[in-house]
Amino acid sequence: MELNQSLIIIVFVTAIALFIWSCYRRFRLVLLGRPENRFKDTGKRIRDVLYYAFGQRCTVSHGYFFGLNHLVLFWSFMILLIANTEFMLHGLFPYVSLSRLPPGVYHALLFLFDVASVLALLAICIAIIRRLAFPPSYIEAQSRDAFIILGLIAFLMVAFFGLHASEIANSGEEARYMPVSNFAASVFFSHIPVDNLSGYINAFWWIHAIVLLSFLNYLPYSKHMHILAAIPNLFFRSLTKVNTQKREDFKKGNTFGVGQIDQFTWKDLFDSYSCTECGRCSDNCPATNTGKLLNPRLVIHDIKVNVLKNGHLIDKKKEAILPLIGGGREGSIADQVLWACTTCGACMEVCPVFIEHVPKIVDMRRNMVEMNARVPDELLALFENFEQRSNPWGIIPAERIKWAAQADVKPFEVGMTEYLFFTGCFGAFDARSRKVTVAISRILNAAGISWGILGKDELCCGDSLRRLGNEFVFDRMVRENIKLFNEKGIKKIITMCPHCYNTLKNDYRQYGMELEVIHHTALVNDLIKAGKLKLNSAKYSGNVIFHDSCYLGRYNEIYEAPREVIASVTGQRPSEMEHCFDRSFCCGAGGGRMWMEESEGKRINVARVEEAMKKEPGMICVCCPYCMTMFEDGLKGMKADNRVLVLDIAEIVANVLI
Amino acid sequence: MLVVTCIKQVPDTTQVKVDPITGTLIREGVPFIINPFDTYALEESLRLKEKYGFHVAVISMGPPNTEVTLRKALSLGADEVILLSDRAFGGADTLATSMVLAEAIKKLGQKEEVAIVICGRQTIDGDTAQVGPGIATRLGYSQLTLVDRIENVDLKAKKIRVRRRLEGRHEIVETTLPAMIAVLREINRPRYPKVPMRLFAQDAPVTLWNNKVMGLREDTIGLKGSATQVRKIFSPQRERGEIIGDGSKNPQVAARLLIDRLKEKNLLSL
Amino acid sequence: MEEEKKLRKPRGAARLIPGKCIACGARCQSACPEDAIEMNNRGEPVINTEKCIGCRRCVKVCPAEALEMFYTPEEQKILAQIATSAKGMEAEEISIEQAAAIAEIKEYRGVWVFVEHTEGEPATVSWELLGVGAKLARSLDVELCSVVIGEKVEHLCQESFSYGASRVYLIDDAVFHYYRTETYYKAICHLVKKYRPEILLMGATGLGRDLAGAVATKLNTGLTADCTGLEIDDKGFLLQTRPAFGGNIMATIFTERTRPQMATVRPHVMLLPEKDPLQKGEIFRESFEIKEENVATKVLEVVNDQGRECDLAAAEVIVSGGRGMNGSENFSLLQQLADELGGVVGCSRAAVEAGWMPAERQVGQTGKTVRPKIYIACGISGAIQHLVGMQSSDIIIAINQDKQAPIFEVATYGIVGDVFQVVPAIINQIRELRTEKSCDLSGQISGKE
Repeated sequence: MELNQSLIIIVFVTAIALFIWSCYRRFRLVLLGRPENRFKDTGKRIRDVLYYAFGQRCTVSHGYFFGLNHLVLFWSFMILLIANTEFMLHGLFPYVSLSRLPPGVYHALLFLFDVASVLALLAICIAIIRRLAFPPSYIEAQSRDAFIILGLIAFLMVAFFGLHASEIANSGEEARYMPVSNFAASVFFSHIPVDNLSGYINAFWWIHAIVLLSFLNYLPYSKHMHILAAIPNLFFRSLTKVNTQKREDFKKGNTFGVGQIDQFTWKDLFDSYSCTECGRCSDNCPATNTGKLLNPRLVIHDIKVNVLKNGHLIDKKKEAILPLIGGGREGSIADQVLWACTTCGACMEVCPVFIEHVPKIVDMRRNMVEMNARVPDELLALFENFEQRSNPWGIIPAERIKWAAQADVKPFEVGMTEYLFFTGCFGAFDARSRKVTVAISRILNAAGISWGILGKDELCCGDSLRRLGNEFVFDRMVRENIKLFNEKGIKKIITMCPHCYNTLKNDYRQYGMELEVIHHTALVNDLIKAGKLKLNSAKYSGNVIFHDSCYLGRYNEIYEAPREVIASVTGQRPSEMEHCFDRSFCCGAGGGRMWMEESEGKRINVARVEEAMKKEPGMICVCCPYCMTMFEDGLKGMKADNRVLVLDIAEIVANVLI
Repeated sequence: MLVVTCIKQVPDTTQVKVDPITGTLIREGVPFIINPFDTYALEESLRLKEKYGFHVAVISMGPPNTEVTLRKALSLGADEVILLSDRAFGGADTLATSMVLAEAIKKLGQKEEVAIVICGRQTIDGDTAQVGPGIATRLGYSQLTLVDRIENVDLKAKKIRVRRRLEGRHEIVETTLPAMIAVLREINRPRYPKVPMRLFAQDAPVTLWNNKVMGLREDTIGLKGSATQVRKIFSPQRERGEIIGDGSKNPQVAARLLIDRLKEKNLLSL
Repeated sequence: MEEEKKLRKPRGAARLIPGKCIACGARCQSACPEDAIEMNNRGEPVINTEKCIGCRRCVKVCPAEALEMFYTPEEQKILAQIATSAKGMEAEEISIEQAAAIAEIKEYRGVWVFVEHTEGEPATVSWELLGVGAKLARSLDVELCSVVIGEKVEHLCQESFSYGASRVYLIDDAVFHYYRTETYYKAICHLVKKYRPEILLMGATGLGRDLAGAVATKLNTGLTADCTGLEIDDKGFLLQTRPAFGGNIMATIFTERTRPQMATVRPHVMLLPEKDPLQKGEIFRESFEIKEENVATKVLEVVNDQGRECDLAAAEVIVSGGRGMNGSENFSLLQQLADELGGVVGCSRAAVEAGWMPAERQVGQTGKTVRPKIYIACGISGAIQHLVGMQSSDIIIAINQDKQAPIFEVATYGIVGDVFQVVPAIINQIRELRTEKSCDLSGQISGKE
């Protein structure tokens, strides 16, 4: 071994230097991104890392069986990290050795290493077999990258056993603490003459060393960069629900949205490095699942490829060679990919490393809308309608009051009325949704709540504009609304639509507007619980299912209130579809998709209605006017609208009011 | 070479409702907008700019707050905007309006040669489609209305070839420059303004030409220069929402009643 | 001083009657000789009573009768005194200039109708104009004349007579083969200057509006577009009634000082008069020198739209089908109805999504916005996305089984029933009526005058 010492030093130092240099080159590019503070509340961040990374909470949860495999691999890796660190240090500085530890500790470690190695080898075999025999649809299952990495790890484990088995065969030491290596020694090395064994030891040592160093140097260039980036990414995750997008500062000379990677924040770029391409996002994406071009995993992948292609050029203040938006090549994202997103948030909900897909997509939409005015035709009229008349259809504001003819309604009076009932554009204009608005008004009156409306003065909250990337007009609308709310002294708002709810609650907060916003499902549930509503006990005998609205459920974690209301009215909790709660499947109308054509692939609402029909419902309960429209539309398409009722939570309650 | 686009700021008439009891217009909250037909004219002039390198000047006659609409034209890419505003211009009918616009175009022509004047088909508040022809006649320009495609502009030969849409047919017409063309909304799809341009337009200069600058005879402009006068205004009778017959029990009778209604309204030629 | 004031009639000041201003475009401000009126952001006058001299010009000029005079209580007292003592202290004065102008316009006589045609094929609106023109001519006791310009168009003279004209001014020359603004407007101006008609009517078609605007500007006279009513008042003025403000109000307009009084009228507004082939009249053959080489505009090609892709936005009649049509094959039924009415077939988003109709036929938010004369919605429930694309149509006819369907909220006429029963009934009855008509030996339609 001593003969080799100088060679070892040369090889190790070169390899480690190379690794550090590779990491530096790659991770430095992250700093091209715009600044963003992700350090606040460090204590919670550390606790989260322990919980999510070392607890492997995200990989194992959500019913992913193979997440268990990852758990085994992760922990084996953690243990072997000690072994391999020692291996390298010992190679460089022979006096550094774990054997200097107290024998009890040392032997326990040896045992752990041995077991971890065999578990890792097993896990790798399972992973390889899985990829070969029954590859999951969502994984880049048979990529070269995957097999190289798996192969390297497997090889490393084999070398580990080779090294230790030959050492055991040679000296017999440590045999007691390394049962697997001992077994290997007895099988492979028992008939080999002792004199030759040192050759074997030497050879396995070098194999182990070279495989380890190769693995290390391959890492930064593969998708397995996540081994390095994932844990820091967990540390930097958003500590609150990602249910809004950031504001923009409309000053001359600024650029808006993201059209080039250096316009992302550093965290956005770091996200792309952390992605392992596990495909859970695309597995749950309503667009991907219905044959749209959008695949959230590929969006993140393309960002990473773009960073690697353009990063060094942008760093040197040179022109980028690969456009971020445009498509046609790996590393460039097509317009229609970005427009296909319903912003339902399913991708972010399942991502094990907390990548924030939706804000990135909206940022890129902003670039298309604000910097290039490159939008699908149908959005041109929509934007004009919002700007001119503050509603998506361009209907006369005076018609906002039309529904009030069928209800007992008062205008909101400054200092007199407690709650503003914000009907929203759908609730005010759409014939079907107006019935829901009327139902809510009846409930509010029955409960004796002090409420009023703004009538024709109500403005659109701006949800669709923000999700579609038209932040400039959104910004204006927010200011107008806030002015109106302040003038009227409005503090408490009841909304009919989850999109208004989320926007008024979470987006308006960025403007310093702290409102108490309540969605009608939550309010109705509270009123029932408090005994303020007298309901007829007529039970509904048919099968009722409930569809979670993304903006109420995933965005604001209101899952129980609507279910409890259904239970109070029908006497039983609703049945659940395959996709429900935080795994609910979007109706297809969010993120401004309501206003766009859906010509690619299967229609999302049809897919969702088909899923619902498997439960043979007599009634589908919704709590959002978008979902209402999409479900009714889908049912009509299947000619099932005469068999299945679609009702809002408020309607089922209003129907049984005494 | 200059393309001059004439636009008008109009009350959004689709938002105007008539009070069913008093018969008066409810104009409260009705915003002023760029005349929708003019957005196509503006877009076409911007496309000509991109294709042939014209300068685009946008002119509009109206009250001082028309500036808002002209800024919108700037945000879309107009090079120069001119507001023609003076109390002497007020109360103008189409004859007096075309006078001011034509004179403004002449004045622009003193700086740079005018090749094309583009107008929208008509305005949504006046619905006359007369101002464009008025401008062309006053300036002695070739007049091409109902244009749904500009086929070619030959700057050397000073010719323009367009497609016009007439009842039941199209014609391809060529004429010499300068020409006034009035465009249909089918000609293009107006662009959406980019945010940096909007920010620029917020405080970009808007040139004001009042009658001190224009120096027009007072009896040719405004109310005094108008040949037509409004004698009275009243609200039309409207019928809305009549369910005819019993279509499910007796479709034949319902059909008959419907045909009678159409015949009464002179909408069914037999 | 007290004495003097008593003798003088107080002039008062003008004020705005709330809610009546229509923001016509600052007529009052323009009429005010004292600059006492400023316009606010809503286009309404703000009257400075300090400056107002009570001349009443703004009150007179206001088309919406939104301005009135008001007097202080003292002034009212004086007014009451004056009213009891003397009457008619001030008569409307007519200046010498005005008198001359009135004398001049008296020289213009006769009602003219421009006969529009496409290479000899007349536009029906011209004959409708002869119908209303005859009434005007009778009121004024003048002749009804038509103007025929074109190449080989003499046959239109006889047709003019049979629809009521007693005189035709004919210009027949190869240079007038195609309609071109330049040649036509110059020819008409030539005739007007020569014969001085007091009224000149044209169809409010694409061609008519193109021509009328040019003629009126050249003659420096008043022109009113798209009239729906024409009549003569007691002073002999042509009162032209037309929709304004997007059809929300009607305005009656007249031309006071200049002649001819010009108006355009949309097709199908006036009734077609009975045709009497035996009627005769006088043809005035006129010539107007204009050389082809001096005409700047050349018609290079005429493309007939027959058989071309249908143009929803330009269609006057649209028959649309929705989900209630149950399948693509049933759209042929709608096509038949559209053919009978001279319209085209459109559809709702549902029909496109179901694959029954191509996307370019879609009416609505994400499709086309249309404004035809007649929109017939068959089996369309009227989702808001659809309504915004068609609700400004002149007449909306809804045929739907569900009487709760929102489409009935915007419909002018609604039929609650099965599309597959109602639509064939309509088609058959139109066909029957047409057969009856062609069987009628006189070949005439009984006008409803």
